[in-house]
Amino acid sequence: MSASETAGFRTADDVPEEVRDDLAALLLSLADNKRLLGMRYSEWLLGAPTLEAGIACSAMAQDEWGHSRILYAMLKDFGEDPGHLEHEREAAEYLNCELLDDPPDRWTGLVALNALLDTALSVQVESLKDSRFEPLHYKVRKVLEEERFHFEHGRGWLARMGQTPAGRTALEEALSPAWQSCLRWFGAPDGGLIARLHAAGMSDAGPAELRARWIQRVGPTVHETGLGLAELDESGAWVSAMELDWSDWDGARRRSGGGSLNAETLAAVRGDKNRTMLMD
Amino acid sequence: MGHLSGEHLYEIFARQKREDRLEHIGTVSAPNAALARAYAWQTYDEQKWFEMVVAPRDAFEPVNRDEEPFTLSPAATR
Repeated sequence: MSASETAGFRTADDVPEEVRDDLAALLLSLADNKRLLGMRYSEWLLGAPTLEAGIACSAMAQDEWGHSRILYAMLKDFGEDPGHLEHEREAAEYLNCELLDDPPDRWTGLVALNALLDTALSVQVESLKDSRFEPLHYKVRKVLEEERFHFEHGRGWLARMGQTPAGRTALEEALSPAWQSCLRWFGAPDGGLIARLHAAGMSDAGPAELRARWIQRVGPTVHETGLGLAELDESGAWVSAMELDWSDWDGARRRSGGGSLNAETLAAVRGDKNRTMLMD
Repeated sequence: MGHLSGEHLYEIFARQKREDRLEHIGTVSAPNAALARAYAWQTYDEQKWFEMVVAPRDAFEPVNRDEEPFTLSPAATR
């Protein structure tokens, strides 16, 4: 590559027009997923199995909300109004994974979000650490530093619950759908937003590589827990034991088609009760 | 702090600067080391720590006394 093909971009205006909207869409997707994941963590502050787990949920909620605030603010450079993004959109405009549409009704559901989806978001964020869009560099490092113990928390709970047959069954019920959703979230291998951003040097991996990194990260833990979702292939790499199913995939929103946030979640996440206090 | 069955107490030690000594800063209840590490980091987050370690209370060998409070097993503290 010539120097001009690898040069960095300091503002959104410097980013080539053909990938500017893609980059904004990825940042918005990460912001929306983190905002909603933080909300899901916060819903267990008082209902977690132990006091320590409740405190951990509080800490992880704060981390995710902080990250989403950073990401929404970055979109100002792309001509977006962060206030509008945070408070005024309809459910169908949120670019969230379908796993966050409704609150999990059991602790195992939150463990699935924590161990699988939170890690998928981090794998995607990590792919931006050497992005040609330079404003991401420092922010990505800060986000990843704060994410360090999120997977540890998920891993610990998988180990804890995997000790009994009943616990493993409950985990299997929660993790199987989450596994499929996370696998797909990185996008179809043949093109799409993530592939275009990779080709333009905005991220360091395309969908297939990101999926492989995620499986490499979560596979050993899931396997140790006794869940048949990941297995080692002949080369010693962790692979999914579940076939990818693209039947209801909406490539534009990077989620299953048709659905969106439920009404209660939408009202809470955009702060409808506090609307009268919103000033400029 | 109350704890579920299968949980153990972990003692937490930390230092803010490399030249500091590790100091005992608290305790968490957890079923395994992974959760003890996560809980310790997320609970005692008021400082920016240079180093933090956790150790199961069960690993402590009493030297001069074997009664409460410190050397009691978690089951006996309830």
